[in-house]
Amino acid sequence: MTPLTATAVGKRYRTRWAVRDCSFTIPEGKVVALVGPNGAGKSTLLRMAAGLVRPTTGELSAFGTPLRGRTHPDVSFLAQNRSLYRDLTVRELVRACAAMNDRWSTDRVHEVLGLLAGVDHDAKIGALSAGALTQVAIAVALGRLPRLLLLDEPLSDLDPLARDEVLRIVMTEVADRGTTVVMSSHLLSDLREVCDHVLLIDEGRVQVDGDVEGVLAEHRVLVGPAADEAGVEGKLIGATRSGRQSTLLLRGAGPAPAGWVSTEPDLESLVVGYLRASRERRSSAQRGHAGRGAKSA
Amino acid sequence: MIWVSWRRQRAQLITLLGVLLVGAAAVVLLRSNMIGAIESLQLTGCVAQTGPECADADAADRFRAAWTNPLHLGQAAILLLPALIGVFLGAPLFARELEQGTHVLAFTQSVSRTRWMVSKLVVALVPAVVVLIALQHLVSWWLSAAGVLGPRNSGSFHFLNFGVEHVSPVAYAVFAFALGTFVGAVSRRTLVAMTAGLGVFTVARFALSDLVGHLVPPQRVEAALGEDLKVYQDGSLVTGRGWLDTSGRVVPDDRADALNLACKRSVTEAGTAKSQEEYLACLPESGLATTYADFVPESLAWQVHLVDAAIFGGLAVLLLVGTALVLRRQS
Repeated sequence: MTPLTATAVGKRYRTRWAVRDCSFTIPEGKVVALVGPNGAGKSTLLRMAAGLVRPTTGELSAFGTPLRGRTHPDVSFLAQNRSLYRDLTVRELVRACAAMNDRWSTDRVHEVLGLLAGVDHDAKIGALSAGALTQVAIAVALGRLPRLLLLDEPLSDLDPLARDEVLRIVMTEVADRGTTVVMSSHLLSDLREVCDHVLLIDEGRVQVDGDVEGVLAEHRVLVGPAADEAGVEGKLIGATRSGRQSTLLLRGAGPAPAGWVSTEPDLESLVVGYLRASRERRSSAQRGHAGRGAKSA
Repeated sequence: MIWVSWRRQRAQLITLLGVLLVGAAAVVLLRSNMIGAIESLQLTGCVAQTGPECADADAADRFRAAWTNPLHLGQAAILLLPALIGVFLGAPLFARELEQGTHVLAFTQSVSRTRWMVSKLVVALVPAVVVLIALQHLVSWWLSAAGVLGPRNSGSFHFLNFGVEHVSPVAYAVFAFALGTFVGAVSRRTLVAMTAGLGVFTVARFALSDLVGHLVPPQRVEAALGEDLKVYQDGSLVTGRGWLDTSGRVVPDDRADALNLACKRSVTEAGTAKSQEEYLACLPESGLATTYADFVPESLAWQVHLVDAAIFGGLAVLLLVGTALVLRRQS
């Protein structure tokens, strides 16, 4: 039973398509990094998966059940703005969330709240630090005992220590209960340590979808003389050229020609390569150049 | 779920309780002061009816000068309370959640959106209506202590009296509340919902206050020429007036006016001393036999109140259904 399947999903806001023709399958037990530039449709996709937003076209299903404007009982969602009742205390918030759920474990919530430095149960939500706020939000999300956890920018606004701690909470959950996690973030270096699957979205479409190791192994960064790119094989994703030297990101690259150095990219340079290429495509399309793919295959 | 809604509404509910306590204390104090004034002016007999036994007309005037304003203020408070319920309880109910994004928390739990909405509505509206009814009865109790010396003297259909009696205040409150929630759900802005809701409520209240009287089947009285119709003095709601011809049919207003004017002219041109008699004789000759009035007697005011409640209640139901539909589509 796959935790999340999207079939040709699209979402249009008035005239603009936030997500377009997205199809993917999230395998069970994976920690998925949902990456892409601002406005790529990551949030919309997660909100659709949470049952908050109805797709304009296509269909999403969680654990085999199509989502129709309701959150699946096995899915928990953490919104980007944390969306907690700020005038309540932590204790009252936990009680409120318990009242709003059929399946609920207060023990689990207390367990998560007790992790790291621990959160004061009598503190007002509005007075918590950004890190503690995220910890509370994750705690009440886990109180639903989800099998799929959707985290929209869980690391935004957090200092490095809090980021590390939040990721540790998520990893503890994955280790304890085998929960599938989909999290969107810009912080690729942080994600690299915890994610084993990457889903790259840009302009509302899936660009890369696969196991991190597999995806990285499939790509090559080639560095060599700008004058001699003819011998390079493979699908060119993006290129940066400075003076006489070219740095090319290739998918399914052949052996490096003489004078070129081939290395496997890390997640960050891979994602940056894709994003830069798509930005260049976009700006060249805006300028109305005929050679849309002049710099990238 | 009720606990969640209660906890979210706690500040407003405590304020509501405060309004009830302060209002009740004020009414009780004012009423006992007023009864003291009635007794010291020796007007006790005039509370039930005015007339010859109320010998001291000067005392009654002095009482009215002192107490009409406080009594009107009490009525105004009951008239105003529905608007306040709409602005401070209805408008922020969903607008604040949507504005702060906290609806996402509720929408991603297992409680259904409809149940969430209904529990919020009930927790906010029911206490407000209870407080309103309590204050309405307190003010009514105070008003009846003044009897015909107070505003009740102007009849059940007077704007101030009608709006504070029977089911009308509750209907206005439910309407104002539903309007506030609807505008809030659509605009997703608390301030917009509060101001727009108040504006629309005020307009609707004035626009519909004339209409309701015409929806109750009226009775008709006729009066011969030169006689006055009693319905203008006995507190009835007059919904129509005009002329009937000799066979009892209604003469259209513009035609009646023209005939009336023609008679007046002929009399003034003649310029005789008997002009009034001639004028009265001229009218039936031109086809204006009697005057009539359509009216709802004061004893049937409850019918008008029920029509009033049906209109505002119906609008409230439509607005709440609209709110539910908007919230179902909300992402």
